[in-house]
Amino acid sequence: MRIHARLSIVAIAVLAGGSVALADDKAAPKHNLPTSPNGDLVVGLCDGTTSTTVRGKKPGEQLTPAEAKKISDELMAEWKRKNPATGASWDRETLVAQNTPQPGGNRTDTAAHGAGTPGPAGAQPSTGTAKANMATTTQRAQDGHTYGAFTTRDEQIWRASTQAFVDEGNRIFHDAKAVGGTIAVSCDMCHPNAANTHPETYPKYQVQLGRVAMLRDMINWCIENPARGKPLPDDDPKLKAMEAYIYAQRRGVALEYGKH
Amino acid sequence: MRMTTLTKHAGLGVASALLVAVACGRQEAASPNKSAANGRAAGAGSGTTIVTPPRGAGESNAAPEMPSTAHVPKDLPIGVSPTLYAISVPADRVPTPALVALGDKLFNDKRLSVDDSTSCATCHDPKAGFVDHKPLAEGIRHQRGERNAPTILNAMFGATQFWDGRAATLEAQAKLPITNPIEMGMKDGDAVMAKVRGIPEYADTFRKLFGREATFDDLALAIASFERTQFAGDAPFDRFINGDENAIDAAAKRGWATFNGRGRCNTCHAGNAVSPLFSDQKFHNIGIAAHKQDFPQLAREAAGIVDSGNQKQIDELAIETKFSELGRFLVTKQVNDIGAFKTMTLRNIAITAPYMHDGSLPTLWDVMDHYNKGGIQNPFLDGGMQRLGLSEGEIDDVVAWMSTLTSDRFAALGKAEMARMTGMKNTRPQRDVAAAMGKKGDLGDIAPPPDLKVKNPASQGVFGTFQHAADGGR
Repeated sequence: MRIHARLSIVAIAVLAGGSVALADDKAAPKHNLPTSPNGDLVVGLCDGTTSTTVRGKKPGEQLTPAEAKKISDELMAEWKRKNPATGASWDRETLVAQNTPQPGGNRTDTAAHGAGTPGPAGAQPSTGTAKANMATTTQRAQDGHTYGAFTTRDEQIWRASTQAFVDEGNRIFHDAKAVGGTIAVSCDMCHPNAANTHPETYPKYQVQLGRVAMLRDMINWCIENPARGKPLPDDDPKLKAMEAYIYAQRRGVALEYGKH
Repeated sequence: MRMTTLTKHAGLGVASALLVAVACGRQEAASPNKSAANGRAAGAGSGTTIVTPPRGAGESNAAPEMPSTAHVPKDLPIGVSPTLYAISVPADRVPTPALVALGDKLFNDKRLSVDDSTSCATCHDPKAGFVDHKPLAEGIRHQRGERNAPTILNAMFGATQFWDGRAATLEAQAKLPITNPIEMGMKDGDAVMAKVRGIPEYADTFRKLFGREATFDDLALAIASFERTQFAGDAPFDRFINGDENAIDAAAKRGWATFNGRGRCNTCHAGNAVSPLFSDQKFHNIGIAAHKQDFPQLAREAAGIVDSGNQKQIDELAIETKFSELGRFLVTKQVNDIGAFKTMTLRNIAITAPYMHDGSLPTLWDVMDHYNKGGIQNPFLDGGMQRLGLSEGEIDDVVAWMSTLTSDRFAALGKAEMARMTGMKNTRPQRDVAAAMGKKGDLGDIAPPPDLKVKNPASQGVFGTFQHAADGGR
């Protein structure tokens, strides 16, 4: 692979301010990729200047995940070389995005398993169970407040439902085919653990688009440009799931719309 | 407002004042009454990789600990959630084939009743969707109780058992009909076991399985184990939600949109891939009991009678007396629970007619008519009940959608029942178009029908797809 390093100082949009001169406010800036003399595949980086030629691969040919990863690694390495300061910050972002779990305390709720959990098989006490069961049921299932009586069971269902959605986003984020790209590049190759996706900064002016965008708009931009797929409708379950995954990696980060 | 418990000692005047106060305050938002489940620390999840959130001082919404899914069968059909299985079936209650066989036999054995006439299956007929298709269940000597027999299908996933949730577990549930005077009529658990021990085949089996003389608890465990095999998914809707567009027809698809949109059904009949029952497992007063009861008067009477925590007494009041209509109130004695009954699952709903706790609605069209007019007004009507303004076409669509929740093994019964109910479609005693369309007072706010080409309410949020336990469970 050979890196075409045009040295204009167009920084990557997610890190830089809106200082790029734009000919037309409505039209998105275009990254004109150089052509390879052999007709090999040329892949561009989202900074609008960096690109790489994939030797021996023609446009439209299948790439393996390993080959795709090599492309993204080459491009990222070149970008970091050109932007040492912001490059270091990209790596720091990766750590933030990993959102390392905080150790929690031990549960103090002794009735943790809810009303439905009996004792060991065959060992139920035969007298007094009715009364005991009643008391538990009364306490946990619903006691006067139809819409306020939430039980551990309810919260487990909510948590599992939300987690299933995030897990689905996680799967798609790591699956180039699911994203619909054509060069085997998946989201995680540049954004491990959704690093540098900055969901908390939307809406904001997005330089690549030349307009204000929401997170889903930028996901679609990435699907089209580095990954070379078709953009998804705004309410596509895959797009929603990716948003869910990206937001889930940033728990506790303050909302700062418009931030660059 | 704070709801106050009616106590035995409350004079009628006090009770009356409370009832009025509650009636007037119904529109206010109930303050969250979260149980001790909150305010606890989050522990490490077992068996699932779920990130534990940082816990701030005083934070009350810590994530609940998730049960392990290690004991969940790997071959659950679509429409049955491995997660809900893990939540509902404790690891030590996963049924063994021997227990299931014993439970199956007991479930169908009329000798468990005092006069050898009635088994569990009499009212919960496995071939008829585990119901009897009668408005009110009939026990020994053709005595009728005050409640409709609910299906056993998916009962294992219930947060509680019975229409009023008076039993916490399948085991606790199984004992009560056997000893109810007008259901199976046995005097008590000892009488049941004296009879069972006298039947050699049972005596041997129990001794082999439990290593001791049969007990009432062992019997209940066996029946519950059988019931824990009666999960039911595999419905056309499940294939539709997993991507097979041809699994249900156009009417059912429109009904699914209305269910999630103008019909407001999903508020209580909540369902997603993790909890696919289409039930919140809560108790709501929708006005069914108000057909025949003056609630405040009945509640005043009951307040002096009900012994909170006496499950046997509540069972008899619920099955045998007019107090049955008080629903959840009998269990909690909370004014807000008067006339409230559990939201039943919609799974296999087409094969479990007639409907409601008293079996008073013969068809799914009657059910739709009931909701379309906003239920029956009464001082304790659930705040979520309001007229819906659905057209006849929209009602047909929602019924069509409900019919797609019939499990494949009951497909023939589902078809026959839908044909039977369709034949009754022109008799509509609950229908009140004027009320539904707001001509009798404009209760509630109603949106116009949506343009499904612009946005389908069913696509809002996420339902999820059915995962198998073998894929890691959810």
